Amino acid sequence: MQACGTLAALVIGAIVVMVCYDVAARNLGFRSLTWVVEVTEYALPLATFLAAPWLLYRREHVRLDLLQPVLSPAALRHIERLAALVGLIVSATICWYAVAVMLDARKIEALVIKTLVFPEWWLFLPLFFCCALMGVECVRQLFAQRKDN
Amino acid sequence: MLWWQTLCLLFGALTLLLLIGLPAGFAFLAINLVGAVLYLGGEPGLMQVVRNSLASITNFSLTPIPFFVLMGEVLFHTGVAMKAIDAFDNLIWRVPGRLSVIAVVAGTVFSAISGSTIATTALLGSLLLPEMLRRGYNPKMAMGPIMAIGGVDMLIPPSALTVLLGSLAGISISGLLIAGVVPGVLLAVLFVGYIVVRTSMNPELAPRFQHTGVRGWARWRPLVIYVIPLLLIFVVVVSAMSAGWATPTESAAVGAAVTLLVAACYRALTLANLMQALRGTAAISGMILFIIVGATTFSQILSFSGATDGLVSLVQDASLPPMAVLLGMMAILLVLGCFVDQVSMMLITLPFFMPLVQHFNFDPLWFGVMFLICMQLGLLTPPFGMLLFTMRGVAPKEIATRDIFAAVTPYVLFGLLMLCMVLFIPSLATWLPKVLL
Repeated sequence: MQACGTLAALVIGAIVVMVCYDVAARNLGFRSLTWVVEVTEYALPLATFLAAPWLLYRREHVRLDLLQPVLSPAALRHIERLAALVGLIVSATICWYAVAVMLDARKIEALVIKTLVFPEWWLFLPLFFCCALMGVECVRQLFAQRKDN
Repeated sequence: MLWWQTLCLLFGALTLLLLIGLPAGFAFLAINLVGAVLYLGGEPGLMQVVRNSLASITNFSLTPIPFFVLMGEVLFHTGVAMKAIDAFDNLIWRVPGRLSVIAVVAGTVFSAISGSTIATTALLGSLLLPEMLRRGYNPKMAMGPIMAIGGVDMLIPPSALTVLLGSLAGISISGLLIAGVVPGVLLAVLFVGYIVVRTSMNPELAPRFQHTGVRGWARWRPLVIYVIPLLLIFVVVVSAMSAGWATPTESAAVGAAVTLLVAACYRALTLANLMQALRGTAAISGMILFIIVGATTFSQILSFSGATDGLVSLVQDASLPPMAVLLGMMAILLVLGCFVDQVSMMLITLPFFMPLVQHFNFDPLWFGVMFLICMQLGLLTPPFGMLLFTMRGVAPKEIATRDIFAAVTPYVLFGLLMLCMVLFIPSLATWLPKVLL
């Protein structure tokens, strides 16, 4: 999970470098990189789907904690398990249908044809790995003991 | 199913999932899966949810979000921000409530070079709050200005949330970024005025303390060395955008690069703090973008199920005067701001609000700035204001949460005053974009 965070950070660093080079090259009359906008568009979901399992692991996703102050530790633990179970169902379902979309795209040999040309199913790989890792993390949270109990 | 039943089902289930503590992005995705089965035809709908999840963030116009956040993170982790705060301290050491005023002035400058409200509040809170409390400042006078100016960060460009609002609402991003400047600066001036008047009337709120008063060039030197170059970052971002050297999206990347360059010139940039800044950026951007992954499809399902049309038609058929509709929208935003985060506020309301804005022919920039002020107030209003949580995170344990709520109250009232001013004097929002763009 920590590696996911570091990779997401590096992807963001790479986007900054690419976009700045492109702006400088265009304004200074050098050869502009025509693929920068497209690669940046793909890098944004890549960074997001790398960061998402890492944030779940660190419990840093945006969430409401309205019930936390009023519930007993035992009730809170039940609620947290319920949330982890819903998270697991969501992750597993999206993971399953991401595979279905990828198989579908492979079967019809769908291509992304912009500046770069590549098989469409490649685009869904980060989402698939993200949901698989989040599913694993939800299972861990489902069975983990609360440290403050 | 009737539109209002759909609306109750989707929002009821969403509220329930949020209440059990499911992360907001997951809660939206869970409702999307249910919505896909009910309204998008089952299996094909579920595959469409997967496609939409990817498509929602495969968008070049969203890239300023990590860039603007990176600018704030770099200043925070390299320690450059602290040097700027010291520079202001030298300059205004005679002013009553000096450290509170510094929080507002430094916060305004950081707003112009950081695109993250949380980063600005965390930075000022962790650097200035301990010093203020050590000097005997009343905790409310210490915390209030820090949280308030953190909220103003959203109005003064660069701002990640402003880019998101422009992108989601179809409002000019460069126009919206510039439109927030006048209300943002006016709010900062109001805050300074309030602090000076309050601490002059009641000096116990912010006791004066001895300062090794520096004079002449020594007083101004830190400002020239540590603050002026930071303002250069703001100038580069706005110039690149308005001169056409770079698109608004690209100018955000240029701003991030210039921030790194400035930190490197101060010899404050190391590989370790660069990685810290990038990881902090990945965390904050990941949080925002993951909510978008879920919430974009949520608004599409609302629209596809007929719930959006049903509600919008209800408002249109009620033949309400435009001002009543506008006030109603602002009231909804202010109430929502108490309970949900800013990204969710946009994603929940924009599918309903933007058709009404077009129907009633409201100026989108004017509406966008009022929307931003409401979101800024949402950051500060209990029980779920994000900046209240940020302050809770950096404030000592002895300070009660209710004191944090009380500290921010006067500044919330100033925010409401600014909302009314923009409502009745639209040129406060629309004048600067007309001049610059």
